[in-house]
Amino acid sequence: MKKYIGLSFLLTLLVMGCANRASAPGVSEDKILIGNVQDLSGPMKELGAVLPAGSNLYFKYINEQGGVHDRQIEMMVEDHQYNPQKAVAAAKKLIEKDQVFCLYQVIGTSPCEAIRPILAESGIPLVAPATQSGSMSDMSREAAELIFHTDTGYDKQTGILVDYILSQDSNAKIGLIYQDDDYGENVLKGAAAAEARTGISIQREAYQRGATDFAGQVANLMKGGATQVIIAGVVKEPIIVMKTAAAMGYAPQFFGTSPTMDHRVALAAGPAGEGFIASNFAYLWNSDVPTAVLYRELCEKYEVPEAYMGMYHFYGFATAQVLVEGLKRAGPYPTRNRLVNALETFNKWDEGAFPPITYSQNDHAGTESVVLVQVKEGKQTVITDWID
Amino acid sequence: MDSLFTGLLQESISGTALGCIYALIALGFTLIYKASEVVNFAQGELMMVGAYVNFFLVTSFMAESGEPTGWIFLSGFIGSILFAVLFGWFLDRIINRPLKDEPVFSVIMATISLSIILRAVVSMFAGPMSLIPVSPFGNQIVAVGGIVISILDISIIVSAILLVVLFYYFFHKTKWGIAIQATSEDPVAAQLMGIAVKRVYGLVWIFSAIVATISGILLAPRMSLLDTSMGFLGLKAFPAAVLGGFGSITGAIAGGIMMGVIETISMGTLSFYFSWIKEINDIIVWIVLIAILMVKPDGLFGVEKVRKV
Repeated sequence: MKKYIGLSFLLTLLVMGCANRASAPGVSEDKILIGNVQDLSGPMKELGAVLPAGSNLYFKYINEQGGVHDRQIEMMVEDHQYNPQKAVAAAKKLIEKDQVFCLYQVIGTSPCEAIRPILAESGIPLVAPATQSGSMSDMSREAAELIFHTDTGYDKQTGILVDYILSQDSNAKIGLIYQDDDYGENVLKGAAAAEARTGISIQREAYQRGATDFAGQVANLMKGGATQVIIAGVVKEPIIVMKTAAAMGYAPQFFGTSPTMDHRVALAAGPAGEGFIASNFAYLWNSDVPTAVLYRELCEKYEVPEAYMGMYHFYGFATAQVLVEGLKRAGPYPTRNRLVNALETFNKWDEGAFPPITYSQNDHAGTESVVLVQVKEGKQTVITDWID
Repeated sequence: MDSLFTGLLQESISGTALGCIYALIALGFTLIYKASEVVNFAQGELMMVGAYVNFFLVTSFMAESGEPTGWIFLSGFIGSILFAVLFGWFLDRIINRPLKDEPVFSVIMATISLSIILRAVVSMFAGPMSLIPVSPFGNQIVAVGGIVISILDISIIVSAILLVVLFYYFFHKTKWGIAIQATSEDPVAAQLMGIAVKRVYGLVWIFSAIVATISGILLAPRMSLLDTSMGFLGLKAFPAAVLGGFGSITGAIAGGIMMGVIETISMGTLSFYFSWIKEINDIIVWIVLIAILMVKPDGLFGVEKVRKV
């Protein structure tokens, strides 16, 4: 009998030990479950396929090395079709049913804004939301203490572009084409701040998401005499705008916010896109920074299809590094609180993909600078260092 | 004042090209509606499928021979049209015929489902990445005075005119065209008069798939990138069809072009001089639509239907 008592005591200890290893929802003896809400079948489904694939590439690499504190990272992806209501339902499912440890990379400004109340309610952190809206790091908003942004916001990007233009040409007349939604709103915020700061006035032209014709806007910029034009669009818009301008014999210097940095802009715009300058919150995937070198090695090793390789896949990869670093710092018994505290210890953390990242209790923006990339002879070339 | 005039002219031409795309989709709506009073909500998706088929044909021919030549585009075009014929025939078999005697509403619901299925299936086959379409016209443009127009836009406008003339002739001068009109008027009487009503329905689905494919091939290079969301443009062509008068071929074209021009001018010159227009840009076509329907409830070219008791 005594033998059995001893044995059961040992067993209890063992079970308790296991329970300790399972320090929070989503964390088990050998696994950490991460939740991701993407657009898999809506207007941004292309990114929805590529971003998590880039993250999984890095997770695979980490898992093969034994994972983080001997736990394998596993990511569950749900679809929100770029619909905020569906994003709420998907986040709830991940948190309540699947019991994920944290949310990661949720794509789109409106979906991220929509899940703030759920974050606040469940105290679950959201690491690296995949949107460059500056509202993500506005610490006065709900659940801001749980959101860690990795991308320089559109508002800051717009300000940096205006400053850059004025530094090159003090007589510049700047025009701006923006998407008439929350993305554009954040861009306009940056433009208004830049106007107040520099005393210039910027000509604004709006378009609706999904527009295929920009003749009106381009003609207006031409009439207004804009010598530099910032395009706050995604991929199609800069291509069509520049082609339309070329067709009209109008040749201002074109600039773009980070979503226009896509390499297909240069490919599809052809000669009209030559000289186009885009700002980006991450370094080029085909550059020599350490993360990019590792990225290309792993792409080759795991035979990533060529169509996937590029800025967005690399972006997914780079944000995964931020998450993994946070998980490492959270220690062998991670809780959601410990992850938040761990991320707040980032001080000029630099792997090369992003500008040096610093978080603190009062600042979750992470970065404030961008790099400018210009299309030269059809190829993207970095023309500045990190600037802010 | 001169720049105002050239601006308006430029926007009108560009808007006409955009409007011709709306018009071609609206023409597809009209063809099916004319024969069976069914609104095919998958018309935009038929266009998207056509654009994808053409893309894959052209790129696979190009992979064979390397350089994009006129022959490659021509064979891609013919191949896509052949596909459209089969596809239209197939859709008639799986959607229209089984639901022939059901309420029109059931067929409309079936076309809505079809649109969702087509988007999903194309995504499955083509992958999630958008594609860069190639155009036989490249980026060539012509400049006349201060006005510029791309060869692509000219080809869109010319194709729209050709198709309209063709269908107008077909509906008013040929036996089959008149048979379709008779079927639309009264299917039972038409059948009693010896018209093969089933074959008529099959024919309109095939025609409408062909029109959709042609508009897809023309639109893809204009959009610069090809993805499945192209089908949503079909929803924009719907008010165009209503504006012109549902069921009228001339109306579909006029409605489409009007919408394209209004959209472009309101985004351009109007927004430039009256900044408040910017706020209502996305609803301006709907405002015009309601205004016109108030005066002419059957649309611009619609025929008033009087049913005697």
